[in-house]
Amino acid sequence: MEWFLNEFEAFVGVNLWTMLFAWVNLLILYLFLKKLLFKPLKDMIDSRQKEIDDMYEDAESSKTKAAELKCEYEEKLEHANEESEEILRTAVRRAQLKEEEILRDANDKAARTVERAHEQVELEKKRIINEVKNEVSGMAIGIAAAVIERDVSESEHKELIDSFIDTIGESDD
Amino acid sequence: MDLSVNGPKIILRVKKLYDAFGNILGNPITQTTVSLVIVTVGLIILSYFVTRKLTKRPGRLQVVAEKLVNMLYGMVRDTMGEHNLKFAPYIGTLFLSSIVGTLIGTTQIFRSTTADLSVTAAWAIVTTGMVWYNNIKNFGFGAWLKGFTEPIVVMTPMNIVSEIANPVSMAFRHFGNVAGGSVLTALIYGALAAVTHAIFSWLPETILAVFPPLFQIGIPAFLSIYFDLFSGFVQALVFSLLTMVYVGGACPPPEELPVRDKKAKNED
Repeated sequence: MEWFLNEFEAFVGVNLWTMLFAWVNLLILYLFLKKLLFKPLKDMIDSRQKEIDDMYEDAESSKTKAAELKCEYEEKLEHANEESEEILRTAVRRAQLKEEEILRDANDKAARTVERAHEQVELEKKRIINEVKNEVSGMAIGIAAAVIERDVSESEHKELIDSFIDTIGESDD
Repeated sequence: MDLSVNGPKIILRVKKLYDAFGNILGNPITQTTVSLVIVTVGLIILSYFVTRKLTKRPGRLQVVAEKLVNMLYGMVRDTMGEHNLKFAPYIGTLFLSSIVGTLIGTTQIFRSTTADLSVTAAWAIVTTGMVWYNNIKNFGFGAWLKGFTEPIVVMTPMNIVSEIANPVSMAFRHFGNVAGGSVLTALIYGALAAVTHAIFSWLPETILAVFPPLFQIGIPAFLSIYFDLFSGFVQALVFSLLTMVYVGGACPPPEELPVRDKKAKNED
């Protein structure tokens, strides 16, 4: 073996060893560059691209979702208005009914009270009339006894006196 | 003035091999080998540092790297189709090996790897191998052989020649451009030295012998922009593009494939 000859190969020529070296170097370079350079960079580019695509897709979907929600809420709002009106109407109607009922009740009560008062007055009147009758009949008997100087038996003449008073009362009424 | 156009310098020669097979197998290590190893190691280290800390919010370096990778994948997608994106790392490797291998020659310390026919031939053979492999895998061995007899049987020799001419032309195109560029650069350096000599010939002989070739300063740099940077870029692009086109032709979209072999498709 001779190292570092001062000789040159032919300018146009093929050296099989050099070819073999070229192949081996190309293979090694291919394997290393694929693993070290192309694959990581390509993966990075792809993943970034994917991220961007995802972001845009996300934004798009949120936009549609928001629009849907908006629609939904508007509908709900409209519904709510209707509902509140309905509630108000019902409340007013109920209040009116209640009012009428209360009024009717009050009227009834008042009427009944007046009636009862009338009855009571009537009863009182009767009682007082009876009392007065009794007293007057007693008095009459007393007077009569004094006049005729004789005991007038109350039990005997009761009937007579009563009929007398009655005639007075009637004429009085 | 001596101007010699040489191939790569021989670094290691195995006497027994050299005696038996001559230059083809006798010199395992040459300048080209050294450059190949440097390019490979350099690119691996560079790619390690580029992708060491990738983030979702990229730094300046990552932006550039991602831009380039995006361009690569876009180009592969445009030329070969969406279904062939798996070839993108190989195309990128080929492109980087080629352009860095060419540009390493501008250091004047190392020789361009692509200025050696062995290297470009090796790459072209890989391309052809990929084309044949994919043709046979996708269409079947019989259909591939039958393809040579189309459109008519008389064309068979032509087709075979063109099939072999593809890698040969690829290899020679790339090699020729880069090697030719380096030869031209050497010629220009020589010419500029001669011009210097001619203009300063009135100086005494003793001074002229050690007088620096003034015109060699600066002027070759502009030519280098074309012959090394531009040409190197174009040749790397052409080589990668041709590889994409040939391999892409052997890998049509899945829906255009004949229904023939489901097994091969499942393996994919």
